[in-house]
Amino acid sequence: MSFEPKILGIACNWCTYTGADLAGTTRLQYPQNLRVVRVMCSSRINPSFIFRAFQLGADGVLVGGCHPGDCHYNTGNLYARRRLAVAKKILEFSGIEPGRFRVEWISASEGNKFAEVVTEFTQQVKNLGPQTQFKISQ
Amino acid sequence: MAISFKQIEDKLKTEAKGLLETGKVSLVLAYGKGYDEKHPMPYAAKNAADAANIVFNEYCAANMARYLVRYPRGTKIAIAVKAADSRAVIQLIQEDKVKREDLVLLGIPVYGIKNFKTGEIIDSKTTGGLYNPVLYDILLGEEVHGQPVNSPYDVLVQYEAMDNEARWVFWKKEFDRCIRCYACRKACPMCYCDPCFIDQNKPKWGEKSPDSQGNLMYHLTRFHHLAGRCIDCGECSRACPVDIPLYLFHKKVAKECEEMFGQAAGMSIEDKPVLVNFRVDDSDKILA
Amino acid sequence: MLKKTSISEISDLAAQLMGKGALIAPVREEAGFNFREISDAKQVDLNFYNTIISPKSAFFPQTEDFVRYQTGKDILEATPVELNIKPAFLFGVRPCDVKSFEIMDIHFTGTGAVDPYWQKRREAAAIFGYAFDLNTPADGADFYSTLGIGAADPEGSDVFMIKKGDDLLLKAITPKGEKLLAEMSVLSDATPDDLNYFDDTVAAGRAFKTRFTCVEAKPIAKKFEDLFGNTEFWEKVSNACLSCGACTFVCPTCYCFDICDETLFGKGTRRRVWDACMFTDFTLEASGHNPRTKVYQRLRQKVCHKYSYHIRKYGPISCVGCGRCTRACPVNIDIFSIVDEAMKA
Repeated sequence: MSFEPKILGIACNWCTYTGADLAGTTRLQYPQNLRVVRVMCSSRINPSFIFRAFQLGADGVLVGGCHPGDCHYNTGNLYARRRLAVAKKILEFSGIEPGRFRVEWISASEGNKFAEVVTEFTQQVKNLGPQTQFKISQ
Repeated sequence: MAISFKQIEDKLKTEAKGLLETGKVSLVLAYGKGYDEKHPMPYAAKNAADAANIVFNEYCAANMARYLVRYPRGTKIAIAVKAADSRAVIQLIQEDKVKREDLVLLGIPVYGIKNFKTGEIIDSKTTGGLYNPVLYDILLGEEVHGQPVNSPYDVLVQYEAMDNEARWVFWKKEFDRCIRCYACRKACPMCYCDPCFIDQNKPKWGEKSPDSQGNLMYHLTRFHHLAGRCIDCGECSRACPVDIPLYLFHKKVAKECEEMFGQAAGMSIEDKPVLVNFRVDDSDKILA
Repeated sequence: MLKKTSISEISDLAAQLMGKGALIAPVREEAGFNFREISDAKQVDLNFYNTIISPKSAFFPQTEDFVRYQTGKDILEATPVELNIKPAFLFGVRPCDVKSFEIMDIHFTGTGAVDPYWQKRREAAAIFGYAFDLNTPADGADFYSTLGIGAADPEGSDVFMIKKGDDLLLKAITPKGEKLLAEMSVLSDATPDDLNYFDDTVAAGRAFKTRFTCVEAKPIAKKFEDLFGNTEFWEKVSNACLSCGACTFVCPTCYCFDICDETLFGKGTRRRVWDACMFTDFTLEASGHNPRTKVYQRLRQKVCHKYSYHIRKYGPISCVGCGRCTRACPVNIDIFSIVDEAMKA
């Protein structure tokens, strides 16, 4: 059986989550490996969510937010950009493949982009294989 | 030019005595006698007579800035600071944990400070490559010049050259040794949260027992919490009873922050910590 | 019975012991030595001063699983974790640490409530005590002689070992040790000369001095009772304390633990982990009230527990002077210096 990765998606309520909705209503096809959690803003994402997700068995984590400048709360994603960039460097230096974590800016009107990003990211994680480093053995 | 520790000690005593006598400060944070010469202890002098107990020698590696947040706001405090320690004070001022006007900084320009556990000189590893305090009111001695200039990030080269797999093996081994005594966070001048995230039950961020899963969560999150704030004093690694080289990871994060955001921690009281700040023109490349 | 072996052939002895059970001996690690279960006989290394973490972990591990359970069903399924205990040999324990087992026995078995985990491990283990080297001065942090423990006291060990030049002398102290040594074919018989050397070293160990002069327990206990309300004194001695748990985790006589339930994906474990009175949340109550919020209160608890309450309740001082806490302390707080200062106060 081919490897089907588990991917955690954390999407902001105003842009990426709505974009995902649009992808759905326009009946775009994308892999079903993504499990989306909605948050009010990408800056609500505590970096520990990401570390914990990898521990609890995620093979990849995809974070989606509004385009910089378009944040519903004006500046939320500008803070998030810095925070998540640091989280990425920490993951990288601890020895997890950097390709397993990705941040994308996807607006409410970009249903297409959402489907493309998910397809591409799923393929990327698939190629990397199962994430074993952080994962807690049950 | 050799450092005269005795001279610094005398100056520390004189300044501390003067400040306490005139009532300019109610407390002087410096170093005092430990159970032997090689093991001096952090010391808080509270009156002019106490000032005579102050010592300073090559084993005074402790960063006194961590004691600042212990006293009520508004307490007038004089504090002995070496290069990295002064950056810790600046960082605390930036974060509004202490006020500049409540502090008298007794700057100590020094090199050749040793780790009292191993006797190893800490200069090349954990002083941020600096010998002179960044901020001070009174300088005890003369500024150090002509010492080899170390890039604080030189020690990282061999770890950056490793591939992901090798780095993971390295860190897993180190984190697995952790006994969760929390000496690292308690020794850290920037770790002042009460309660610490790892002590919280709701939500429970990580396991309390010292196994690889809880240890990983504790350390990685702590590295993130100190991103752009760690001033490279190395106290976490010196405090560790099992010698986990935490300073390496902190340095790496500090280096990345400096490259991405163009600002090192604790260099100016005008700065804002990088993670509570942003620029509209931050590049998306940092996420790549 | 006195036997001997050459130190260069120590791995042969180790291999023979490993054939009979688990061998727990000091192993050289990054930061220094620690007791570990030996997997390769060559790992055994007697060139150590003392370990970073005390040998209590052999009987009272930092993490001990009690019960595994499953949640999410109508009936909670729980199965106790089987205690799988095999004979163990605790090899190379310093006399002060041997003494610590006696103190720990009070808490785990001596007060009526018996801890089966400690008791069974303790019964299954044979202790190979190992004298300090009397030719090298004691570490600056040690003060075992202050508490009346000799550098080569064989009491409490099943077998006691003393280094004589390139040889290691092993003397059986208990019947258990007697039986064990008789079974060890790699050992040779000792000469009368060796026997004299052994007895002389034990005597010399009693005269071997570490820091501070010998003390009596009762007056210290009384003094600390009087000092309890002296906040000024306690604030002074705890000024530097960071309130981390390094001292208690390395201590051979600290026995506090926490029971926590750790559940993931519906499967959980109830386990016991070491806790430390120096942690802020050690005394945190469910109501949110915390009776010991200040650093001085926590340090006072630690010092008074060892040097006052313990004496009043059980007799001995709950400290063996191994010096580990002093060596591990990030800010060089020395517990006996506090006692010393208290006696002068």
